Amino acid sequence: MSEIIIDLKDINKTYTGGVPLHVLKGIDLQIEKGELVSIMGASGSGKSTLLNILGILDTYDSGEYRLDGVLIKDLTENHAAELRNKKIGFVFQSFNLINYKDALENVALPLFYQGVSRRKRNALAMEQLERLGLGDRFHHLPGELSGGQKQRVAIARSLITQPSLILADEPTGALDSQTSKEVMQVFRDLNKEGMTIVIVTHDPEVAAATDRVIKIEDGLVV
Amino acid sequence: MDLLREILQTLRNNRLRTFLTGIAVAWGIFMLIILLGMARGVLNSFENNNWAKTSNNISVYQGVTSRAYKGFREGRGIKPEMADMEILEQKNPQHVEKVTTYSSLNNTNFSTSKDYITVSPKGVYPAQGKRDDIKIKYGRFINEADLNYKRKVIILEESNAKALFGDASSAVGKRIKGYDLSWLVVGVYQHDWRTDVYVPFTTAKQLTGNDPYTWNMAVEIKNVSTMEDGEKAEKEIRSTLSNRHDFDPEDQSALYFYNQFTNYLKSRSIFNILNISVWIIGIFTLLSGIVGVSNIMFVSVRERTHEIGVRRAIGAKPRHILLQIITESVVITTLFGYIGVVLGMIVTQLIAYLTADKGFLENPTVSLEIAAEVTVVLIISGLLAGYFPARKATKVKPVEALRDE
Repeated sequence: MSEIIIDLKDINKTYTGGVPLHVLKGIDLQIEKGELVSIMGASGSGKSTLLNILGILDTYDSGEYRLDGVLIKDLTENHAAELRNKKIGFVFQSFNLINYKDALENVALPLFYQGVSRRKRNALAMEQLERLGLGDRFHHLPGELSGGQKQRVAIARSLITQPSLILADEPTGALDSQTSKEVMQVFRDLNKEGMTIVIVTHDPEVAAATDRVIKIEDGLVV
Repeated sequence: MDLLREILQTLRNNRLRTFLTGIAVAWGIFMLIILLGMARGVLNSFENNNWAKTSNNISVYQGVTSRAYKGFREGRGIKPEMADMEILEQKNPQHVEKVTTYSSLNNTNFSTSKDYITVSPKGVYPAQGKRDDIKIKYGRFINEADLNYKRKVIILEESNAKALFGDASSAVGKRIKGYDLSWLVVGVYQHDWRTDVYVPFTTAKQLTGNDPYTWNMAVEIKNVSTMEDGEKAEKEIRSTLSNRHDFDPEDQSALYFYNQFTNYLKSRSIFNILNISVWIIGIFTLLSGIVGVSNIMFVSVRERTHEIGVRRAIGAKPRHILLQIITESVVITTLFGYIGVVLGMIVTQLIAYLTADKGFLENPTVSLEIAAEVTVVLIISGLLAGYFPARKATKVKPVEALRDE
């Protein structure tokens, strides 16, 4: 039997402040190691909130979330940061690269927070960039890269800490269809190597490229 | 090192903002250095003037008693005697180093075949040269032998020597006429404003009549460092003289005392106040710079909320963010502070150069010690300026920061 990496039980989340908004209404979800999963839903369905909870960027009100067997609840900021750094690689729709750092520095940044030496993290970053076909773009600033290249830099960054899981939030949302296909191919290749990948999207084509589609509607898995 | 590289990259990315923020700090430190340098210059010039250099001195002048004492009426005139000088030295070995006096002779003409000068010669002891802060250019000053043998030797000021001999350097060894006597020139001196002619005290005494009195005594005191020491030395001298001349030791007007040492200490304390004032003014000038840095750091944190969110998402702990913002602030204040320090030092050196030999400012530069103190002030300033913005930055939730575009 495969190992469960993400285990959600009856996750609830309500946004307070103004009119209370019950966004997640008891999510039950299990994702196994090595799966390529997409989470689909219309805007306002709660899929982004779910992604934030999965990524330990946000907290939930009730239920239980285990990531790789670790209960994610009432964590200190430091512990949460450490788990994000070591267990999760993030890929965002708008890439979220730091614009004054070149590709190499952007990719190496997560290791800076682990206290890895500059020499070692640069070597590892080069490895990741080369793996993603950006061997000739080490010292290009994000502004000098195309959308697809930026997203590949972001993927390289998400991989550098050798996480258990990659969380991608609309990773092709800002890209044209050809580039989207290329990026999705990158995810498929990574998945073949054994990486667990969760992609949040509202694009059916993206969802179709994954092994399993989880639909969220009105705060529930349907 | 890594953190510093990270910060320099951030600062390079915001060059104009960093520069403008830094200018305020540089200006504050620049002003502080200039002010400290000026205060230093005034203090140096005070310390180095003759008055300060000869401050271990108590002058005693004749006076009139204001109290009846041991059967004597008040209103009795008291005059120091020549014999008092030796007795003061013998009875107060702990505080009295040397007692000297001088006399002024009436105006007279001293002449050579070439020209003449009209002066009132000063009859002095060898120590007077130091007290009057003169620099011997040719020959020597009055010595003990001159006093013992009552020699008719004379020391001239340079311009007078030039007037009398045409060339000051050739005056030593030549003779001039005065009081119908022939005087041997043994020295020529230089001074900014003195033009006195010096002769041995004993020789001068012979010319004025051999009465046992003198109108003044200069008591050189030793082993004194505090106000109390100075006052104690004065009291001892007064007590010895009151025994000799039968006046109440508490009677302040029997002999008039001018205690240069205690007066010097009092004046010096004014300079301490000046120094403290300068620090206060400087620190407040700097404070406006620090508020500026803090303000800009707040703006910077606000502007970089999204970036902070990204950093948090990929694993930065709150302390990483805190450290980064505070170090940024310290780097800005220290870096630009040093620019201020260096500019301030250049300007103070320039002022030192321009005011050299003007008297009112002497070497108005700051020491390395002050530069070190300023460094500490800068680092503390940077820490203060960065702390609150940094705290704010760590309070931002990653999920909210990421939403901030």
